[in-house]
Amino acid sequence: MPEIVLETEGLTKYFGGTLAVDHLDLQLPLGCICGFVGRNGAGKTTAIKLMLGLLRPTAGSSRLLGCYSEALTPAIRQRIGYVTEGHRLFRWMSIAELERFQRAFFPKQWDDKFFADMIEYFSLSKKQKIKQLSNGQRAQVSLALALAPNPELIIMDDPTLGLDAAIRRQFLEGMIQLIMRQGRTVFFSSHILSDVERVADRIAVIDKGLLKANCSLEQFREAVKKVIFSFTDSAPAETDIEGLLHCRRSEKELEMILVGTDKEKIADCAKSAGATEYKIVPMNLEDQFIEFTAPPGRKKLFQWEEI
Amino acid sequence: MGLWIQISPGSNEPVYIQVAEQISEAIAKNQLASGDKLPAVRKLAAELVINPNTVARAYSRLEQAGLVNTKTGSGTFVADPKLRKADAADINTLAERMDTLISRGLNLGLQAQDIIKVFKARIDKFVGQSNKKEE
Repeated sequence: MPEIVLETEGLTKYFGGTLAVDHLDLQLPLGCICGFVGRNGAGKTTAIKLMLGLLRPTAGSSRLLGCYSEALTPAIRQRIGYVTEGHRLFRWMSIAELERFQRAFFPKQWDDKFFADMIEYFSLSKKQKIKQLSNGQRAQVSLALALAPNPELIIMDDPTLGLDAAIRRQFLEGMIQLIMRQGRTVFFSSHILSDVERVADRIAVIDKGLLKANCSLEQFREAVKKVIFSFTDSAPAETDIEGLLHCRRSEKELEMILVGTDKEKIADCAKSAGATEYKIVPMNLEDQFIEFTAPPGRKKLFQWEEI
Repeated sequence: MGLWIQISPGSNEPVYIQVAEQISEAIAKNQLASGDKLPAVRKLAAELVINPNTVARAYSRLEQAGLVNTKTGSGTFVADPKLRKADAADINTLAERMDTLISRGLNLGLQAQDIIKVFKARIDKFVGQSNKKEE
């Protein structure tokens, strides 16, 4: 069994009467890049804040590098990097001042050369004040600050939100560079599924506070399938098939989203349902995610009148 | 090595299959010859900005297909074509893939003969490219 670097058990958070995170049981093995995905308001930021001990859970617990989140010691915190949503940095400071400030938290392992190289690579100058920087430049500074202490575990909350394609790619490169070093782990939330697909080898899907999937990206890609059964007469209202997530019916077809159903089962079921033909439709990760987190029986947004 | 690989996240094909397919094609075209060394997993991962495990997975897929051999400690090498073996299932998969092209050809109004001609010309071009490289 690989070492577990991030672990939550029944992690739960209510804000008043609203349930934001619902009994989250998540385990993250050492050495992976895990994409944490969910729709807006699914509970990603709250879950991340709970993990870092920035919010107190209503129930349950979480541990980073074996240490409970509410009791992270400075020694453990030094081994963890955190990039906040929106890259909030002290606006009145220059990059050099911010570096000095940040370095104080990581006295032993701050890599001056790495930081200087990154700032140069981004065509920035250490004299520049944060308030004069664009969103993209602030993101670059925040990436350099997070990577310079060479953290063992880096947690990033939607780090590429609102960034252009080139700067997003730099972030992804940063993650790959970090993971190449021995014993490093990355956990990042994102809305950009193509970024997740590019760099992640694991995926955790959260939906309305509930963890719906936590597996290798490849397993997820294989598990979620769209299957269409065709019938000569009218399609049955529903069919009983293992792993059925939801089902849409048109006159002569049944379109189903299945999770974890193997090909033999699908073939058997098509036969016993009386379908004349069935096909497994390939899906990309984004389609899989949308289908996986869509409420069953969702309506189309608009229904054009037929002429 | 003139090997360039294009990654398209968001495609229906998982990234590791995209990598494996493009290397397979380079081998078929003899752009990668028997005995050539593939880039190290970590190097290719950094270049393509993809997870190193994805590259490793692509390499092991190529190895299962008998296209490359991994020698512990020294790297992954393109296998000797004589040692590659296709079983009935492989040939069946190939035949099924041809169906798409055949139906396109028929839908364009081509006759079976015309489609065979197109196939033939294309194969000659493919093999021609690989022979040129060998010389």
